[in-house]
Amino acid sequence: MSQQATALPPAAEAQHEPGYLAVSNVTKRFGAATVLDSLSLSVGRAEFVSLLGPSGCGKTTLLRLIAGLLAPDQGAIEVGGRDLTRVAAHRRNIGVVFQNYALFPHLTVAENIAYGLRAKGVPKGEQAKKVADALGLVRMEAFADRAVTALSGGQQQRIAVARAVVVEPSLLLLDEPFSALDRKLRETMQIELRHILRNLGITSIFVTHDQDEALVMSDRIAVMNEGRIEHLGTPSEVYARPKSLYTMEFVGQSSRIGGVVTGGRDGIVEIDTPFGLVRAPGHFLTGSKVVVGVRPEAIAAGEGPAGEYNTVRGTVAEVIYFGSRTLLHFRTAREGDRLHVELNRLPDTVAPGVEMTVRWRLDDSRVFPAPGGADR
Amino acid sequence: MALFGSLFCRLVLGLVIAFLFLPILIVLTVSFSSSAVFAFPPPGFSLRWYASLGKADSMLQAVWLSTQIAALSTAISLVLGTLCAIAITRGMIPGAKAVATFMASPLMLPGLVLGIAFLQAARDFGLRDTYSTLLIAHVVITMPFIMRTVLASLSLFDFAMVDAARMLGRSYPAALWTVLVPNILPGFVSGGLFAFIASFDNYPVSIFLVDVRTKTLPIQLLNQVEMSPDPTVAAISALLILGTIAALIVCDRLVGLKRMASI
Ligand SMILES: Nc1ncnc2c1ncn2[C@@H]1O[C@H](COP(=O)(O)OP(=O)(O)O)[C@@H](O)[C@H]1O
Ligand SMILES: [Mg+2]
Repeated sequence: MSQQATALPPAAEAQHEPGYLAVSNVTKRFGAATVLDSLSLSVGRAEFVSLLGPSGCGKTTLLRLIAGLLAPDQGAIEVGGRDLTRVAAHRRNIGVVFQNYALFPHLTVAENIAYGLRAKGVPKGEQAKKVADALGLVRMEAFADRAVTALSGGQQQRIAVARAVVVEPSLLLLDEPFSALDRKLRETMQIELRHILRNLGITSIFVTHDQDEALVMSDRIAVMNEGRIEHLGTPSEVYARPKSLYTMEFVGQSSRIGGVVTGGRDGIVEIDTPFGLVRAPGHFLTGSKVVVGVRPEAIAAGEGPAGEYNTVRGTVAEVIYFGSRTLLHFRTAREGDRLHVELNRLPDTVAPGVEMTVRWRLDDSRVFPAPGGADR
Repeated sequence: MALFGSLFCRLVLGLVIAFLFLPILIVLTVSFSSSAVFAFPPPGFSLRWYASLGKADSMLQAVWLSTQIAALSTAISLVLGTLCAIAITRGMIPGAKAVATFMASPLMLPGLVLGIAFLQAARDFGLRDTYSTLLIAHVVITMPFIMRTVLASLSLFDFAMVDAARMLGRSYPAALWTVLVPNILPGFVSGGLFAFIASFDNYPVSIFLVDVRTKTLPIQLLNQVEMSPDPTVAAISALLILGTIAALIVCDRLVGLKRMASI
């Protein structure tokens, strides 16, 4: 996992002029189904924002609304201060990299890239130069005269990116561009694409259902759930300080233990759980049903000082070895609960059935209202 | 046994080919006949029936009319049929499946019924012009051939390409023209060819719609055979065969017969 590597220096965040893309209260229905529900999103200039969510949550729909390929039922979309809500797709100057690339099979690689330049009436000589530059950008110079059908998936992907950016769009939208690539290639392309787009300084909205991809590539991530944005934040915020149980569970691994609030003070609540008393920062009324969430790597073996740590004891159910780390699944008494512990080094004695004490910092715990629990 | 089987197959194949091609051969031979009657084998050879074509005004008019009607109705069907096929494929209209089945089936009504219906409808709408009536009827005749091939081509076409073209600055119609049209060209050519032929040799519908001065070729040919059965008809037929071969060669050059046949 590469979460640590993705945390951006604060300076990089500050330089994005905010509100370059402004999606305001956009609602989209298909028949009776409301796919996007009064959704708002603000993206800074040159920022790279991922829309992350499970299949069917409305990511593509949002992208198509921004592109102008769909019209919203309500709400407005602005880019660079210009209201685009009623502007036709072909006049928006927004680039799109489609899921299956949508290259034109009747044209060569160079002709594909030149397509947008021709449409915009760029003079022939200038076209050739721009096409050559774009091919250089994606390191595909040698393929200019090939048929696009003769290219591999990764190569097609590069051409799709070159074709979209060569016209210097004001915004680039990418819809799961890596979903057709195998894992290894995907990882190289992620790094390379991020590098290219950062260098171009192009504002990008990137759709993915792959949390690792979102964490690796993004300046900020918008975690989506059923047509709403659950959490918009930097990768480290979304990962380490998720605003909702949904975000916590969707992004990365997590342990979750349900319980009832029995009291608390000074911003720390005490929760009665099947693992005993657990304390965590938060404000909940006594008697509320809550869920405590912790990242598995924030949990360590052994006891900790009572003031700063929660310490619980449990029985190991499964040991999953990953090489550089080991994941322990503990037995849980209640449906839906999960105690997963990630250890870098495994004590020799640990095996399924063994009892073990683990600890985590109060600061590393998050408390959320239990899903479906009206008695908050 | 296997040898016998293979011989038998070859024999059947030979017979089928002969069955298909002998009439054409006979027509070609007779067109060069020196005799004034439609006799086979001809007593001698000449080009007199080709020469007589130059004077056969009503025949040439019929060729010209049929060519126009076939070309225009095919062109109209190509445009309307393609737009309709797009709407069906993209689910823009309710009951798209039913509409597709209806539009792509070869006409389920006998041509005669359709002809009478057109005649009646033209009268009711006060449409007096034979040419327009013929054209409208032939659009209906050609449409299924276009719909069939275009729907088949569109089912393999990725419409994200049209979206891509739009995002690169082309309006929707321009995107269709520059991306969709070149990619389904084989479907257009093969559908267009069948449609053209269907219109060109239609008899049962047209017979109700023609008048004394406006006759399509099949009708004029039959008249001619009834009135003066000389080999002029054979000469015309020979030229039509030549025209068809030329059309096939052009289509092959344009998109390749293999690609066309696979649609
Ligand atoms: N053209 C459409 N007509 C009807 N429903 C649609 C259409 N496009 C998308 N949907 C529905 O909207 C929801 C969101 O779809 P989509 O935006 O494609 O999700 P995602 O890209 O996040 O997987 C899905 O339930 C999908 O079935
Ligand atoms: Mg999608």
